Amino acid sequence: MSNLLSVENLTMKFGGLTAIDDLSFDAKNNQITSIIGPNGAGKTTVFNCLTGFYKPTNGQMFLHREDGKISLRKYTDFKIAYVAKVARTFQNIRLFPAMSVLENLLVAQHNELMVASGYSLFGLLNLKTYRDKEQLAVDKAKYWLDIIGLTHRADDNAGDLPYGDQRKLEIVRAMCIEPRLLCLDEPAAGLNPKESAELNKLLKFIKTEKQTGILLIEHDMSVVMGISDHVVVLNYGKKIFEGTADQTKNSKEVIEAYLGVDE
Amino acid sequence: MEYFIQQLVNGITLGSIYGLIAIGYTMVYGIIGMINFAHGDIFMIGAFVALISFIIFGLTGVALPIILLLVLLIAMLFTACYGWTVEKLAYKPLRGSFRLAPLISALGMSIVLQNYVQVAQGARVKPMQPLISGGLEFFKNSDFIVTVSYLQIFIVILTIILMGIFTYLITKTDLGRAQRACEQDRTMTALLGINVDRTISITFIIGSSLASVAGMMFVLYYGVIDFYIGFLAGIKAFTAAVLGGIGSLPGAMLGGLLIGLIETFWAGYVSLEYKDVAAFSVLIVVLIFFPTGFLGKPDIEKV
Amino acid sequence: MEKKDIIQSFKDSLFTGLIALALFGPIVGLRTASKGEGLFITPQWGVVFLLVGLCILGRFLINLNSARKTEITFFSKFTSKFSAITEDKAKHFAITAILFAAVFPFLPFTDRYFMDVAIMILTYIMLGWGLNIVVGLAGLLDLGYVAFYAVGAYSYALIATTFGWSFWICLPLAGVFAAFFGILLGFPVLRLRGDYLAIVTLGFGEIIRIILINWYEVTNGPDGITGIPRPSFFGLPFKRSPDEGETSFHLFFNLEYSTMHRIVFLYYLILVLALITNYFTLKIRKLPVGRAWEALREDEIACKSLGVNPTNTKLTAFAIGAMFGGFAGSFFATRQAFISPESFTFIESAIIVAIVVLGGMGSQTGVVLASIFLIGITEMFRDLEQYRMIAFGGAMVLIMVFKPKGILANRKPTILMHGDKK
Repeated sequence: MSNLLSVENLTMKFGGLTAIDDLSFDAKNNQITSIIGPNGAGKTTVFNCLTGFYKPTNGQMFLHREDGKISLRKYTDFKIAYVAKVARTFQNIRLFPAMSVLENLLVAQHNELMVASGYSLFGLLNLKTYRDKEQLAVDKAKYWLDIIGLTHRADDNAGDLPYGDQRKLEIVRAMCIEPRLLCLDEPAAGLNPKESAELNKLLKFIKTEKQTGILLIEHDMSVVMGISDHVVVLNYGKKIFEGTADQTKNSKEVIEAYLGVDE
Repeated sequence: MEYFIQQLVNGITLGSIYGLIAIGYTMVYGIIGMINFAHGDIFMIGAFVALISFIIFGLTGVALPIILLLVLLIAMLFTACYGWTVEKLAYKPLRGSFRLAPLISALGMSIVLQNYVQVAQGARVKPMQPLISGGLEFFKNSDFIVTVSYLQIFIVILTIILMGIFTYLITKTDLGRAQRACEQDRTMTALLGINVDRTISITFIIGSSLASVAGMMFVLYYGVIDFYIGFLAGIKAFTAAVLGGIGSLPGAMLGGLLIGLIETFWAGYVSLEYKDVAAFSVLIVVLIFFPTGFLGKPDIEKV
Repeated sequence: MEKKDIIQSFKDSLFTGLIALALFGPIVGLRTASKGEGLFITPQWGVVFLLVGLCILGRFLINLNSARKTEITFFSKFTSKFSAITEDKAKHFAITAILFAAVFPFLPFTDRYFMDVAIMILTYIMLGWGLNIVVGLAGLLDLGYVAFYAVGAYSYALIATTFGWSFWICLPLAGVFAAFFGILLGFPVLRLRGDYLAIVTLGFGEIIRIILINWYEVTNGPDGITGIPRPSFFGLPFKRSPDEGETSFHLFFNLEYSTMHRIVFLYYLILVLALITNYFTLKIRKLPVGRAWEALREDEIACKSLGVNPTNTKLTAFAIGAMFGGFAGSFFATRQAFISPESFTFIESAIIVAIVVLGGMGSQTGVVLASIFLIGITEMFRDLEQYRMIAFGGAMVLIMVFKPKGILANRKPTILMHGDKK
């Protein structure tokens, strides 16, 4: 199995505070890799570095695609999603609450639709080429809504959905940009066991049917242990363990980090 | 050379006035994160209250220093009421609302205040006889005599005193601590038993009082006011607050001095008509390139 | 209701009265007036006591109401019902309104005065619709919109007086200039946060005005530009006595000469321009760029995470909004035949922002209603000029406090998967 993401010697310092210290790990293609660790370990910081919100102090992050290896350091802002094709979701769900579910999914397809609308010109003239492309976009949205069972709510405001559904919507919205790597920041937060199980199903589907690599930050061990192919454990900004889910469960270092050492 | 020094003196005086207004902006921004668009008009009201008080006391035979002190206190008292009321009416109800709501409300309040004064006092400019005249002269033998008027000295010294008092207030007292706590995390501060509403109200009262002092100085220095002075002075003072670093008290004064100097030097050496353009341009340049200003804290948005 | 509630209300009201006294006492009570070289004071205690009394009474009533645990939601309920009805019948309302507007000049009571007011209202409606793109859709608070209005007006005036080209050529050119200005302005500032952006745009508006006043060589300074060519009916001028080789409008159509002809033409001109602005907005909301504007307004970080380029998107909104402002400016120039910097003050920007906000950000119908209300009614009460501005500002504060989303804010999705459910 080939690498999708290689993080090499990543270091992130905020003034005197070192949030991430010389972190290296790999995430493979078509796998779900989870990053876990106690609070403050630096997990979200890693995400923010990967997705262009922070500029790392040191180190490299490479995304391996069919057309070669690209360095994620070069892409900031919206280019991470647009060019590098790395999508992410957020700890505090960031939908467009006053817009409908369908519209949320259409915004995700903004860039193709812009070109299709001739930068609005074809759209203004109501040309068929644009209308067809728009219909395709709506179909893609319907496809994902069918998978998460929200098709009947396509025209409702995204902000009106229950929490668990909003979560799922945010994830499929990210999928609408057809990413190579999907980064999910605590997707199971606030979900009850039934919803967590549905989440697992969705993520496994994405992994196998969509051939998208998934990188996951999580605290909920039922999710982590249930679906991860690979686990990276951080503590105080350093990697303390890397292995399969089972190996992680039984690793002495991990247990110590979470539960402490017997005095 | 002498001309330069004169502009320097003038600039520092003007800068003190801007600085006092700027403190109001910066304190309010620090504690509730909004630009109090109506603050410039509070300054204007302070100027009017001062003017009216001067006229009334001028009719009595009281000595000048006592008049100055009385007018100072009166202006501060009444203007503080305005600041307090504006906060209660137009900002407090909007504390949880979307970002632009308090700004639009402040805009509305500014329009109300300007026109309210226009209706109540008439649209004409209001002149006043100079109360403090005379000054010290330097470089008497050169082509250009530098005059430092007693009024200018009074303004600067009063500013220094007020700065001292309020810096002490902010750093050493409970109120100051409560204020800084509110700036950092309002919810937590409330949970710790601090009366957040009262702290915010007091912040507005302090800001308005200082603005009223600036108003009084403006009346004395320029001798003529109208209902529109708040708009221009407000923009410049806001520029000063941002330049010095929004949220920082010494920054506001520093920014004020800088803006005062820039405006005076521009008017003196380049062009009088375009001096306001200079101020606005500084504003734009600062906001685009130095949004945290000199002494401000960087604003990192958490993702 | 308990006695202690009443006592508390009473105490509250007294406190309110005290504050009111402090507020109104000096400023209202001691009116300064000029006498010779100085000022003297005229006491106006009557007004003060009236105001203080009103405040006390008002406060007491509000407290009683709250104590009885019944909320004053009258205003909210009224506006909610209102917006529900108008939303329901939005299409009917729009068609009725357009029909009414189309026949307005020919109604029996419509005289020159009403036509002028109608033209003014329509101009503000167009400006409101133009700014609605920037503020309402894209959520960018632009407090300097008047700058684009001014650029449009002055470009039109300068081109028309220098080159003598017709309205139909100068209008698009003016729009292009304004759009260009919009890009120039927008480029450095659009990454600023909401409140900073507002102040910077305000600054730009003022800079433009100061330049217009002082750049004598080009703009003629405070004297303004006169002799701007009046519009013609596709080549037929509206003149009583046409020049050599020209036929004027009234002669061509065999009518008695009347200045009303030109006014009616101007009326239809602004009506058409405004409707074009509206049509454009309605269409572009359904296109990707329109949706991106609204998404940016909702959550910029989420947009970035989906690959939307925020700067370009905002710039587009800014430029298009500017362009429509420019068109409105051209119209203004040709209607007045004379422009000066006095017409382009910050207050104009504030009024247009007020119209957009009061109407409900993003609501086209709301802009119409707000314009009619604010401009129309206050035009009728011209004498009470300053009172109307107080009411204006007060309305802005009240709307924000009670209904921050504006009177008619009710967003319908731009595209439906399941079609109309009715």
